[in-house]
Amino acid sequence: MSRRIALVEDEPALRANVADALSRQGYDVATYAAREDALRAFRTRLPDLALIDIGLADDVDGGFALCRELRALSATVPIIFLSARDSDFDIVAGLRLGADDYLTKDTSLPHLAARISALFRRSDLVNAPPSTEDVIRRGPLELDTKRYAVRWNGTRIELTLTEFWMVHALARFPGHVKDRDSLMRDARIVVDDSTITSHVKRIRRKFQAIDPAFDCIATVYGVGYRWGAE
Amino acid sequence: MRIALGIRAQLLLVLTVFLALPWLGYEYVRELERFLRDAQQQALAGTAQAVATALHDRPRLFATPADPIASFARDRVDESSGDGHLPPPASPEIAQIVQGLSRTTARIWVIDRSGVVLARAGSLKRPEAASDRAAGWQGFVQAATHPLYRLMLEQPTEDFADDAVTEGSPRGRDVEGALSGILTTDRRKTGDGRAVIVSAAHPVWLGDQVRGAVIVEETGNRVLAERNRAFERLFNIVLAALLLGSVALTLFASRLSARIRRLRDDAERAIDAQGRVRAQLASSDAGDEIGDLSRSFASVLARLVDYASYQEKMASRLSHELRTPVAVVRSSLENLKAAPLSDDARVYIERAQGGLDRLTAILARMTEATRLEQALKDAERERFDAAAVVAGCVDGYRLAFPQVAIALALPEAPVPLAGAPELFAQMLDKLFANAMEFSTGGAVEIRLARDDATAVLSVANEGPLLPAGMEDRLFDSMVSVRDRGGAGAPHLGLGLYIVRLVAQFHGGNAIAANRVAPAGVVVTVTLPLAED
Repeated sequence: MSRRIALVEDEPALRANVADALSRQGYDVATYAAREDALRAFRTRLPDLALIDIGLADDVDGGFALCRELRALSATVPIIFLSARDSDFDIVAGLRLGADDYLTKDTSLPHLAARISALFRRSDLVNAPPSTEDVIRRGPLELDTKRYAVRWNGTRIELTLTEFWMVHALARFPGHVKDRDSLMRDARIVVDDSTITSHVKRIRRKFQAIDPAFDCIATVYGVGYRWGAE
Repeated sequence: MRIALGIRAQLLLVLTVFLALPWLGYEYVRELERFLRDAQQQALAGTAQAVATALHDRPRLFATPADPIASFARDRVDESSGDGHLPPPASPEIAQIVQGLSRTTARIWVIDRSGVVLARAGSLKRPEAASDRAAGWQGFVQAATHPLYRLMLEQPTEDFADDAVTEGSPRGRDVEGALSGILTTDRRKTGDGRAVIVSAAHPVWLGDQVRGAVIVEETGNRVLAERNRAFERLFNIVLAALLLGSVALTLFASRLSARIRRLRDDAERAIDAQGRVRAQLASSDAGDEIGDLSRSFASVLARLVDYASYQEKMASRLSHELRTPVAVVRSSLENLKAAPLSDDARVYIERAQGGLDRLTAILARMTEATRLEQALKDAERERFDAAAVVAGCVDGYRLAFPQVAIALALPEAPVPLAGAPELFAQMLDKLFANAMEFSTGGAVEIRLARDDATAVLSVANEGPLLPAGMEDRLFDSMVSVRDRGGAGAPHLGLGLYIVRLVAQFHGGNAIAANRVAPAGVVVTVTLPLAED
C-alpha cells in the first residue's frame, strides 16, 4: 500500500507541482488549501506524513496551529514545515512544536523527496534492532545512518534530518574542514551562510544540553566547520 | 552683509520705539510751560491793573516834586532790600500804597509820564531756596537723575544781572505801551541772558490823560521750576517703565531663545552625520508654538525612522514576497525535467534553471541583512582574538580564490575583541568580497592593527574611486555607487550595510575613503578592544 502524504499549501500552483512530483515517487498525496479542511481529514484518517505551509491564506500562523493539532492526534506522524519564512524565530518555533524538519520553499523537489523517504525510513526502522555496519563511531559519538539516530556517550540526541546530515557530513572525516556549500549539499538544503551558522549553533546546543563540555564542532573562520577529534 | 541678530537683540531694537515716549512727554511739558507763562502774564497784568486802579484820578500823587534829601534817607533803607542802589522813589505816598499791594515774588514800579520812578516795591530775586533733598529711595533717584536733567533742562537761577537796577528804571517795551494808554505785557531776557523777566504795565489815568504807569515785574523762574519738576517726574516714570519693560522683555526673549536653542540642539543631536536618526526627540508638552514645533520635529523624526526601517526591511520583505512565485517556477521546472522532453526543450529548461538559480541567490542576499539583524539581536558576546579570525579567514580566501593576490598584515600581539567571532568573520567576508569585486588588479590588502584601546581593520583594493560625498551612504542598505562595468553576480549594495551593522554591534564604526597611490578604495573598521 502506498504511503499517504498530506500536503497543506495555499498556493495552488505550488501545491499542484509538489503533489505531482510526490505522486511520481509513488506516494498517495492528499492536498488541502486551508487548515480546517486538513484538520477535518486528519481526524478521519491520519496521514503517514504531513507537509505543512506556515502561512495559510489569511491565517499567518495557521500552519503552526495545524502542527500542534496534528501532534495532539498523533505523536509519531512525521511533520515537515515547508515555508517561505526562513527566520530563525520561525524555524525554532516550528521545531519546538514537534515538527521533524523545517524547509524553505527554495528546497528543490528532489531534495524534498529525499528527505521524505529518509523520514519514512527512520520511522520504519525505529523499532528494528540496529546493525553495527550502519553505525559510525567517533569517540563518544554514534551515528546510525539507517535510522538517522545520534547518540553521545550512549544518550540519544534528537536531531532534525537537516541537523543529522550536517553532523554526519562533519563527523565522517574528522579533522577535515567542511565549507558551508558542501555542508548545504550534504544536508540537502539551499540556504545562506548565516542559516548554516544558526544550524551549527543549534546542533552545538543540543549536544551541550547533554554534555556541557562538548566542543567537537570547531569553526574555521572564513571557511566552514570541522569535527574536532577531541 | 547680513547682520545676525538674536531674538533678544531684535526685541530690544523693537523696544527703542518706546523711546518716543520721553519725547512726547517733553512736548507735553512744553505745552504746560506755555500755559503757565500765559497764566503768569495774566496774573501780572491783573496786579498791574489793580495797582493802577488804586492810583487813577488822584492828581495829587503825581504832583509832588522829587525831594533828594528824603530820597537819600529812603535809599539807605532800600539797600537792605537786596535790589542794590536803586534811585530813590520820588513819591512816598505812592510808595505807601504800592507797598501794601506788593507781592513777595514781584516788583512793582510806578512811574510818571516822563519815566521818572515814583515808587517801587518788592524784589525780583528771592532768597535761594534750600534744595529739598528727599531721603531714602527718592533721594537716590534724585541724586542719580538730577545731573542728567541739569544737562538737559534750563535751570532757574537767582544769580542774574538785573538791568532795571543798574539803570534805575524798568526797561521793558511794555512801559512805552502803558504810557501810550494800553495795558501791555512783555517778556525779555536779562542783559546777561541768565533769566527771563516777565512784566506787565498798566497806564494810570487822570481823567482821559495818562499820568503814569504801573509796572509789575517777575522772573520766569517760578514757571521754569514748575516745568522742570513736572518734566522730572514724568521722565522718572517713563524711565522706570522703560527699564522695567526692557528687563521683562529681555528675560522673556532669553527664555524663548533658550527654548529654541535647546530644540535646535536636540534636533541636531537626533540625526548623525549620515542622516540617520540616532535618538528620538523628547517632544515638549508646552502649549505654545515652540512646543508645537518640537512636537512636529519629533513626529518628523519618527516618520524618518519609520521610513529608514521600511527601506532597510524592504529587501527582506521583497524577497519574502518573491519566494513563493520563485518556488512555483522552480517546482514547475523540476516537474518538467522529470517528463520526457526533446533535447531542444532541455536546453531551454537548463537556461531557465540557470536564471532561476541567480534569482534565488539574489533573494538569499536580500534577506541576509535582515537575518543578520536578527542574529545581532540575540548574539552572545564572547572574547576572541581578531588576529586569529582574520588569519583563518584569509587562509580560507587564499584557498577559495587562488587567482586573487592577498597582502595580509597582522600585529604581533593578539587583538582581543568582545563580540561574536562568526559575525566578525562575516564582516571580513563582506569587506573582502567587496574589495575583490571592485578590484582591477593588484593585491587586496587586508591589514589589522591595534593600539591601546582600538583595533583597526582595513581592506583596500585598486580600482574605481568613490564619487565624492558618497563615502557615508555606501554603508546604507541597498546603496551601490561604484560602476563595475560588467555583469556577473548581482551587486545589491548590502555588503557594506552588513559591515556597518557588525561594526556597530562591536561598538565601532566603518568608513570608506579613496586611496591615491595606487588609486583605489580603502574601507576601515575601527573597533574598541575588549576590556580585561
